[in-house]
Amino acid sequence: MTGTPDHPQGHAGPMAASASPAGGNGAALLELADVTKVYRVGIERVHALRGISLTIKANEYVAIMGASGSGKSTLMNILGCLDILTAGTYCLAGADVSRMSQSRLARIRGRQIGFVFQSFELLPRTNALKNVELPLAYTRVPHRRRRALAALERVGLLDRAHHRPNQLSGGQKQRVAIARALAQEPDIILADEPTGNLDSRTGDEIMEVFDSLHAEGQTIIIVTHEQHIAERCGRIIRLRDGLIESDEVLARSPRSAVRCRGATRRDQPRNRTASVSERQTPPPGVSPGADTPSAAAPAPGDQP
Amino acid sequence: MTRRRRNRTLAALWWLVCLPWRLIRLVLHAVETTASNSLTALVQIWGNKVRSLLTVLGIIIAVTSTITVVSVVQGFGNYVTDFLKGIGTNSMWVYPQRPAGAERAGMGNVVLTMDDFNAVASQCTLIGRLSPMVFSQANIEYGREIAENTPLRGVGAEFQAIHNMYVDAGRFLSPIDIDHSAQVCCLGRDLLDKLRCDESVVGEYLVIDGQRFRVVGLIEEKGSFAGESLDEIVLIPHTTGLKMYPYLRDFVIILTEAIDETSVPDAVAEITRVLRSRHDLKPGQPNDFVVETQDQFLSFMNNVKTYATSALGGIVGISLLVGGIGIMNVMLVSVTERTREIGLRKSVGARRRDIMLQFLTEAVVLATVGGAIGIVLGYTIGHVASLHPNMVKVVVPLWAVALALGFSAGVGIIFGIIPAFKAAILHPIDALRHE
Repeated sequence: MTGTPDHPQGHAGPMAASASPAGGNGAALLELADVTKVYRVGIERVHALRGISLTIKANEYVAIMGASGSGKSTLMNILGCLDILTAGTYCLAGADVSRMSQSRLARIRGRQIGFVFQSFELLPRTNALKNVELPLAYTRVPHRRRRALAALERVGLLDRAHHRPNQLSGGQKQRVAIARALAQEPDIILADEPTGNLDSRTGDEIMEVFDSLHAEGQTIIIVTHEQHIAERCGRIIRLRDGLIESDEVLARSPRSAVRCRGATRRDQPRNRTASVSERQTPPPGVSPGADTPSAAAPAPGDQP
Repeated sequence: MTRRRRNRTLAALWWLVCLPWRLIRLVLHAVETTASNSLTALVQIWGNKVRSLLTVLGIIIAVTSTITVVSVVQGFGNYVTDFLKGIGTNSMWVYPQRPAGAERAGMGNVVLTMDDFNAVASQCTLIGRLSPMVFSQANIEYGREIAENTPLRGVGAEFQAIHNMYVDAGRFLSPIDIDHSAQVCCLGRDLLDKLRCDESVVGEYLVIDGQRFRVVGLIEEKGSFAGESLDEIVLIPHTTGLKMYPYLRDFVIILTEAIDETSVPDAVAEITRVLRSRHDLKPGQPNDFVVETQDQFLSFMNNVKTYATSALGGIVGISLLVGGIGIMNVMLVSVTERTREIGLRKSVGARRRDIMLQFLTEAVVLATVGGAIGIVLGYTIGHVASLHPNMVKVVVPLWAVALALGFSAGVGIIFGIIPAFKAAILHPIDALRHE
């Protein structure tokens, strides 16, 4: 991280991108417009998402928070193309995925999305390398081994490539899972409570991996209910009852606690755009090194 | 305009040029997918060794029994064929037989006598060696030993060449013995044991049904045929036999050979003509005798083999069905157990068909491994069985191995489809949430 936040637009490359607090650089990577999701449980209809409009740009580092039942898992599933939305549109990298067939969605999951799960989901009896190679096998890319090894190297587990999951610690398992998500060089990494099964120290290690991936230019979306995890991200989206309660941009640098707050409600959808423009223009008078990101105060007036 | 058309033509040509390359890539990908799916399947099978073994037990038993029985039937068939080939492919035998059906009415005694034999011998031009044969059973006494109900054959001097039954000690019945109805005999090797004597019995005397006979030769060991020992036999001149058992004169069997293989049908026709005229059979009346050839006997043996094999097929079908149900059951369990894995695979890009193929491959590999174990076991059992001296040499034909493997794989496909489909249509979210 280079310190001075500057306008991300017009810059290319990981260093330039990571310089902005939220990390968004340029064109929208994910675009959700008025997305609703209705489940049918028996004869009842459960409205999991009631109208979510959201834009996430390349190299953003986003946390999605919310109490259980707030719809965050549903949102996660829709973002990850695991579930089909009921109404609205979802564009991923310019393609409308909301009406795609199952097999095309599978291809998008394989090529453009990397999943990291709470419980790692590594295949037992299969070594780390093979686990990382798994997505590559489904998308028929060449040089699988080399790519898998490169991904393992990025998470610092090259020396454990031939260990099986039961020979690895929890943190190592999750790093293998991150390598698996990375192997395909996806557009987004979607992490669902990646630290939920880990102690806080190991959780921090995992978050450091995510931090450095973000610094390298990776777009990351983390679903979490832990405040301190969310605050490591550049942007926190809070859900409540299937709606976006708040969408705030944080200054990610530990030396600055700049936060721009933008609440988005269904009845005032233009707020989303406002929050985005706020995010792209950091407020003046930011003094580095004034606060830590954990001191997340609710109002913009709390800036030092 | 023209340029655009040319470009389009070039693009089409390029597409055609690339086509084989793309096809090769497609095939390579299919091979690779199958290989990696099979590897996953083997890892799964190895990880659940006991369960997998119990699952494929049905198939193992089915294939083992198939291979064992097929190998024995085949070995037996080969033995028969070799035996008959040893006798000679142009040999024929004629025996009296009352025709079946309505035509039998109005026919006199059905007989074949020495006169018929002599007529065939003198009038047929297409036959070479020939010998009459009468058969009975006799009690043989030697010292205090007695061999009861020993098969006895009254034969001519050329019998040994026609029937491939040579002596390896002493001599065979000579034409002079036959002309003089001499009381001489040749013994099969098994009788030596029964009568508690050895090769020194040649030249000695023994008693056959009360008559004193001199042993002139011992027949070489022939083994057994159709479960019956061929070495428990005593040969005497047919003239002597007809004297001792006068009632046999109507049941003479003519053993003969066509001059060569190609003239067998003509020789049969010739014999038939001679005998029909001797028996005063009118046109339209059936033969009261049968001329049997090697071919007929071989085809009869082949029929037996076919029946045995098809009866076996039914049994194997049922056991494969049972084995297949076992595989389906364990695959369903496996799909439920590995629901999370399926969810994960789907979330990293596996399509329905990828999951389907994976589980189908697993069922096929499981079944084929069972089949392979069955083949090895069946082969071993067959060979252990053939160690027994009275057993024929077993042969496991390649087609049986291929068929067993093919059927096992087929069972895997048929019974793997439902579990594989169940896995394929799982929803990734539900699968990932599955506990």
